[in-house]
Amino acid sequence: MRLILLLLTICASAQVKLPPYSKQTLPNGTTLILMPRAELPLTTVTAVFRGGAEAESVAGLASVTAELLERGTATQSAEQIALAFDSLGATLNTRASDSTLTIASEFLSRDTGRALPLLADLVQKPAFPEPEVKKVLAQFLDAAKSVKDDPQAAAGIAFRSFFYGPAHPSSRPVRGDESSLPKINREMIQQFQRRMLVGRNLTVIAIGHFTPTELLPQLTAAFSSLPAGEAYSPIADPGVPRSAKPRLLLIDKPDATQTYFFIGQPGIKRGHPDQVPLQLVNTLFGGRFTSMLNDELRVNTGLTYGANCQLTLNRLTGGIVISSFTKTETTERTIDLALNLLKKLNSTGVTSEALKSSKAYTKGLFPADRLETNDQLTQVLTELELNGLNRGEIDDLFSKIDAVTPERANAIAKTYYRGEGLVFVLLGNATKIREAVKKYAPEVTEMPIAKLGMEP
Amino acid sequence: MVRLLALAWLAALLLPAQNLALKKHQLANGMTVIIHEDHDIPNVALYFFYKVGSRNEKPGTTGVSHFFEHMMFNGAKKYGPKQFDIVMENNGGRNNGYTTRDVTVYQDWFAKPALDLILDMEADRIRDLAFDPKLVASEREVVYSERRLSVDNSPEGSLDEQLWAAAFTAHPYHWGPIGWPSDIEGWTMTDLKEHFSMGYAPNNCVLVVSGDVTETAALALVRKHLEAIPQRPGPTPVRTKEPQQKGERRVVLNRPAEIPFQMIAFHVPATSHADTPAIALLTTLLTQGRSSRLEQRLVERDQIALAVQADTNEAVDPTLWTFYLQLRAGIKTEQAEQALYSEFERLVNTPVSDDELKKAKSQFLASFYRQLKTLGGKANLIGNFEIFHGGADRLNEYAARIEKVTVADLQRVAKTYLTAQNRTVATLVPTKE
Repeated sequence: MRLILLLLTICASAQVKLPPYSKQTLPNGTTLILMPRAELPLTTVTAVFRGGAEAESVAGLASVTAELLERGTATQSAEQIALAFDSLGATLNTRASDSTLTIASEFLSRDTGRALPLLADLVQKPAFPEPEVKKVLAQFLDAAKSVKDDPQAAAGIAFRSFFYGPAHPSSRPVRGDESSLPKINREMIQQFQRRMLVGRNLTVIAIGHFTPTELLPQLTAAFSSLPAGEAYSPIADPGVPRSAKPRLLLIDKPDATQTYFFIGQPGIKRGHPDQVPLQLVNTLFGGRFTSMLNDELRVNTGLTYGANCQLTLNRLTGGIVISSFTKTETTERTIDLALNLLKKLNSTGVTSEALKSSKAYTKGLFPADRLETNDQLTQVLTELELNGLNRGEIDDLFSKIDAVTPERANAIAKTYYRGEGLVFVLLGNATKIREAVKKYAPEVTEMPIAKLGMEP
Repeated sequence: MVRLLALAWLAALLLPAQNLALKKHQLANGMTVIIHEDHDIPNVALYFFYKVGSRNEKPGTTGVSHFFEHMMFNGAKKYGPKQFDIVMENNGGRNNGYTTRDVTVYQDWFAKPALDLILDMEADRIRDLAFDPKLVASEREVVYSERRLSVDNSPEGSLDEQLWAAAFTAHPYHWGPIGWPSDIEGWTMTDLKEHFSMGYAPNNCVLVVSGDVTETAALALVRKHLEAIPQRPGPTPVRTKEPQQKGERRVVLNRPAEIPFQMIAFHVPATSHADTPAIALLTTLLTQGRSSRLEQRLVERDQIALAVQADTNEAVDPTLWTFYLQLRAGIKTEQAEQALYSEFERLVNTPVSDDELKKAKSQFLASFYRQLKTLGGKANLIGNFEIFHGGADRLNEYAARIEKVTVADLQRVAKTYLTAQNRTVATLVPTKE
């Protein structure tokens, strides 16, 4: 493989439009969104509940609850549920994110009459059988342990925690860790479900091959008996304050032959007025193959297989995060180069030619990245709903992109890509790199990888 | 409980909608070109499949196909170093590539007005690739970093490498596309040039164009840019055949890890063989979805595994059917192995029910068609059918071949391949840091 696909957080567009959809509200507060698309004979129905991990009292509770929705209702066992979906060739996916709990199924449009009531049963009548609760918690615990076998993933989880700090929900390991999972029990799961999985928190998004006038009564029948409950009030944005001094966490994995690193600083939240220019600048800094970071750290020097910078664009303020990896011996050189590039972007900005390229790249790939499949469109509609945005975010994007001037882009580079108050997380062979990395922060916190996710 | 879906419904519903219209042409220089028109979004996926991979390598130069894939982005005559990526991104495009044991594939995704330009760049690098020693040195480091990421620092990656090395003793599937560390350090310029002249003949290439194009216009552009590139002899045939395995092989890997991992593999024929649909359905029946046999047995009932997966990779030569067991912490691998083997015995001794076969067919076909959601997914599937399944046209027959598989076929296939004599077991035994 030549390149691990960079996770882009590009999100807007213009000459292309979001396909038409309709939206209505049921008496219990549930929002229904229907977007007919005839390309494949498939329908995707996604139930999105607001809240997710930010509403949980213990890390992992929302994820465990989501998983258990598949594992038993008042009338069906876990095995029966699995068999029912598999027999239809349908998918069933449940998950929690920082701000949502979702349950989704994709099925043949022809099977709507069977699949929809099944899905609605899981949403409305979960039973949380005790043996399934025990089993799922044990599986989650082993999965949390196994993260340590994947150094890049382990470093990523550690970074979130160290960068965001306890006040910010993004600091949580969404699927829980070895200290949080043992604290979860069936009663907490039931309480979470009763409080959060209610009509006023629910948006159902249906996309696929259907006639809205036929599907609407089916969706209404399926989700109307969910209690309205109380609407969840999302927490206020705690922001991401810039650290007064640089901070560095070093995770020791003695057998690692390369160092994985993350370098973060404050970013913005979704819908911020700086979003589009910031995305264009970030594409040039670390969002594509020819970006400054990948060009220098991979193409010019061969120090790594890949380097990037990601923007997190959620309801709550996120980060601007450089990440890469290199062999143990070149750790210092690689981080130094990344920091030099950060300085260079801040001081010299981007050329108008580069900005033009970033615009063409973003617009050219936008349809394939965001509007091609039902899954992508579901994601777009979910984000619009959660962030209180409308279709203008998509439909006006190209004109917003066109409007970004080089002066604006350079002001953005100066404001957001800064050298002070950086937060570093490194995972590697500490014995070999400890001395060299001290220069990045006045205080270095060190922990063995075994302690990751354990009680401090 | 919901009644099982009759396959006929699924077939009746999906097949007419999913018959992919494919237009196949051969250029005068022998390059195969397959065009699929899809006007859903204003984009194009362009995939070049070169029929050269690590099976065409020799000891000493293992990994050179993959290294070469990287070098294809480092400059040619008209578009110099970095230009391929810069020009593509300037014009609303992105690219990647991958190398397997059998093929090297180059993927371009872009806004449709760029088709002419992208073909010009592709022709340039196929015709006039440059070999700059400085770039070779730097790219060697990049590839080593990729190896450290995907093999050396990955328990699964290291175990997989050991599994294939044990299962194949004679055939070049013995090594993986990434190559052995000492070979990555040792490739010479001559190795690279020889590889290029062997593998990158136009007559050794299948080009798939999938997206918002018309057949006539796309073909005209393809001809304009690629048809004049001269034909050359392709790779010499791989003569070595893997001798039949005559007894179980076991390999153990000790390394720091939290969770034990096992890979258990069986030799099976090449993808073009008549048993491929039955093997695919057995893989589905055993591991796809929570109701599958191995999920139910190992993950849900016995609770000895965290995850169970299985696959056969598409391959020109006889290959492996591999079962992956990520165990629960503290579970003895012997226990998981025994549970797996008892499920295989059950398949051999007791025919599966018609309902269970129907379920597997529905699941398989639904997954198969899900690959068609994107232009890139379509291009990949079309190319794979052209190379591994005996022709792109067979893509549209595949559902019918799946339908024809019987309960007796499944039993026979299980009995033929899932035997102790035919298996290789690779076990990761965690040690403390």
